[in-house]
Amino acid sequence: MRAAWLVVLLAAGAWAQNIEDVVKRGEQLFVTTCGSGYCHGGRGVGGGAPRLAARGFNQGFINTTVTQGIAGTGMTAFGGKLPGADVAAIVAYVARLNGVQNIAVTGGRGGAPAPAKLSAEAARGRGLFTDPVRAFGRCSTCHEAGGFGISVAAPIHDVPANAAALRALATPRVVTATIGGQAMAALVVASKSTSVTLYDLTVAPPVMRSEEPGAAQTREGSSWRHSNFIGAYNDAELGAVLAYLRAVVGQ
Amino acid sequence: MRILAFLLCVTAAYAQTGAPAGNDWGSYGGTQYSWRYSALDQINTQNVKGLAPAWIFQTGDYAESLHSTPIVQNGVMYVITARLQVFALDAATGKALWHYRYGEPQAGLAGTHADFVQNRGVALGDGKVFFGTKDNFVVALDQKTGRQVWKVSMDDPKQCGCNITAAPLVVKDKVIIGGNGGDQAHRGYLTALNTSTGRLSWRWYVIPTPGEAGSETWKGDSWRFGGGSPWLTGSYDPQLNLVYWGTGNAAADFYDGDRVAAGANKGGPLNLYTASVVALDADTGKLKWHFQEVPDDLWDFDSSYEVLLMDREVRGRIRQILVHMNKSGLTFVLDRVTGEFLGSFNVPEVSNWISGVTEDGKLVGRNEPVVGKTGEFCPSAAGGKSWNSTAYSPRTGFLYVPVLELCADITPRNTGPTEGRNYMNGDFPIKLAAGRTTYSHVDAWDPVTGKRMWTMPYRLVLLSSMLATGGDLVFTGDPEGNFFALNARTGEKLWNFQTGAGHRGAAISYAVNGRQFVAATTGWQQTVVGGAAIGLFPNEEFRLGSTLVVFALPEGTR
Repeated sequence: MRAAWLVVLLAAGAWAQNIEDVVKRGEQLFVTTCGSGYCHGGRGVGGGAPRLAARGFNQGFINTTVTQGIAGTGMTAFGGKLPGADVAAIVAYVARLNGVQNIAVTGGRGGAPAPAKLSAEAARGRGLFTDPVRAFGRCSTCHEAGGFGISVAAPIHDVPANAAALRALATPRVVTATIGGQAMAALVVASKSTSVTLYDLTVAPPVMRSEEPGAAQTREGSSWRHSNFIGAYNDAELGAVLAYLRAVVGQ
Repeated sequence: MRILAFLLCVTAAYAQTGAPAGNDWGSYGGTQYSWRYSALDQINTQNVKGLAPAWIFQTGDYAESLHSTPIVQNGVMYVITARLQVFALDAATGKALWHYRYGEPQAGLAGTHADFVQNRGVALGDGKVFFGTKDNFVVALDQKTGRQVWKVSMDDPKQCGCNITAAPLVVKDKVIIGGNGGDQAHRGYLTALNTSTGRLSWRWYVIPTPGEAGSETWKGDSWRFGGGSPWLTGSYDPQLNLVYWGTGNAAADFYDGDRVAAGANKGGPLNLYTASVVALDADTGKLKWHFQEVPDDLWDFDSSYEVLLMDREVRGRIRQILVHMNKSGLTFVLDRVTGEFLGSFNVPEVSNWISGVTEDGKLVGRNEPVVGKTGEFCPSAAGGKSWNSTAYSPRTGFLYVPVLELCADITPRNTGPTEGRNYMNGDFPIKLAAGRTTYSHVDAWDPVTGKRMWTMPYRLVLLSSMLATGGDLVFTGDPEGNFFALNARTGEKLWNFQTGAGHRGAAISYAVNGRQFVAATTGWQQTVVGGAAIGLFPNEEFRLGSTLVVFALPEGTR
């Protein structure tokens, strides 16, 4: 019996330690997100959004609000945007700010998947794929992969084996569209009886145009080449980008 | 009589083709000169008491209210809600002509300022209606039907922590727009797109890359995430073919250890071209000149606010000037051809961040936040004025300003940047300035002499744009729902109407078939500065809403 109590006490001690870790993690997350002065302020003292500290909130309310947000306001639903463990940590920290005695590690329902663990090469590739210094010359101007980028092109399924294969990539879906007498390389994304939607690929970033049927004529083939748009990346850089794509495609 | 003749001469000298709005309100600031002045004078100081609602339009999109400036062209009004619903209305009756819904924007990085739901207006040109979106698209609609014509992404909301809330500026065949994001680890820019095709014309980054002029004012790699986002709407001078824009604060906002070398001369320039007014060639986006107002900004006193272009006599000579207030309330007068400093004046009554400005426009007596300490700084990051605009009347020569008297307790931090994430590096709870009973006032300033000509105190905070008219009236609204008219020469309150919801948007004036209208957008803002105001006055109720209230003199009384 005594042994059993000991086990319970040890478990409780471990649990308490875990809670403190979770609260601490929540505080770190809070500072860089919720805690902006235009939002809830450091330690939830309030700012452009209401004070969160010492409001008498219970944990259920905090969890619901953090997870689901408040529609139409700056308070977005974090449930689908942050990994579940992060949501749980923020909820635990805000519960602490409200003096909740028995903080539970809850939340995370509907949480976003935790970001993929990337190798150093793949992480470098993600940086190149999304490189803001390259402005519209970066891969993510047209491709979405691993949670980053604008999905102009269809999702990437097959990752080329190497930089040479990537440079040689054929793009049979790119056609030539003529609108108002002007020909342009285009990617047709929808063709309905009421409208034709296509991307004009003439310059980056691609422009999504909606035309009335008949206003845009298309024919197969174009002078557009993927290799022209990735020319600013060298082979080593493209190799890293491919490592990133291999790590995230199909996840 | 001699005095009157003199006044008329001076008034004539102020006249500037294209600067006042007439029957139309064609641009965010009325015209590309950003005066927010309508020359219409049917409603004037004598008859304004008879002003009454002509029509009311409820958008039905009540969450986050209505903060935009409506645009009117040829009797049609175009207005956008915070959640990106666009309406075309018969400007004489309020009848809806078309209604466009953008839909749910793509999710951005959670927990950044890009979460704020806000839109400040549309722009017209080339038969289209243009606006920016919460997920960083620029969209063009057919002006006649509201059908979406083109749409193009400016940045990745999942990465940059940025969004677009400003109204675009149309200049010839280009639509020009900036973005938010300067409080995140982000590098700001202005982008110009072809109005017809949506194709990129140019992009100008506020922060130069290593090797470019100005990059030496950044420490290490800090230029990559140094902020500076130009998040409001600029101006355009067609004679000079120059676009003028105010740029945002350097990031991190309250800590400069990452971006400024130890021992740097705070006289500047530092962290170019943040917290500056810039003049860009409209065709190429090339920088023509710049004037940095706050070198090494440590107070979030960004300079993104409106730029008013006018011709005024300065020290005996008519000059092409611009007038520009930044968040600190310090207001600069520059030669808009060269960027030469001509003068400055400080608008808020409570101010402790500098002790003054030298004769050549340099800040002196900087009172800087220090890591590890909490200090009281005035004005607050809400500004000596918030983003809502001033107005300028060429008849009085006065600039009309909704001034705030707020302070903040700033506690800086020194955390490093993570792309797209909050990078303010400090807490700054906003509070009421001590020892006062009123926390806002409408002021009239002569920008050339730097003298305050009159002031009308208000007990709460004024966060709606000003409108000046040829009837010598100044209109604005307050958070309690009052929409009111002041005598532009004296500040005397001449008329008031309770609209039912707080004012965080703008008023405009226009005419249809010879009848002058004054339109106000209503509905309080519950986040950012509007949200902070709710916390400052816990016993008040600032009502939300999303309604256009449009006034005119009753038929038969004009």
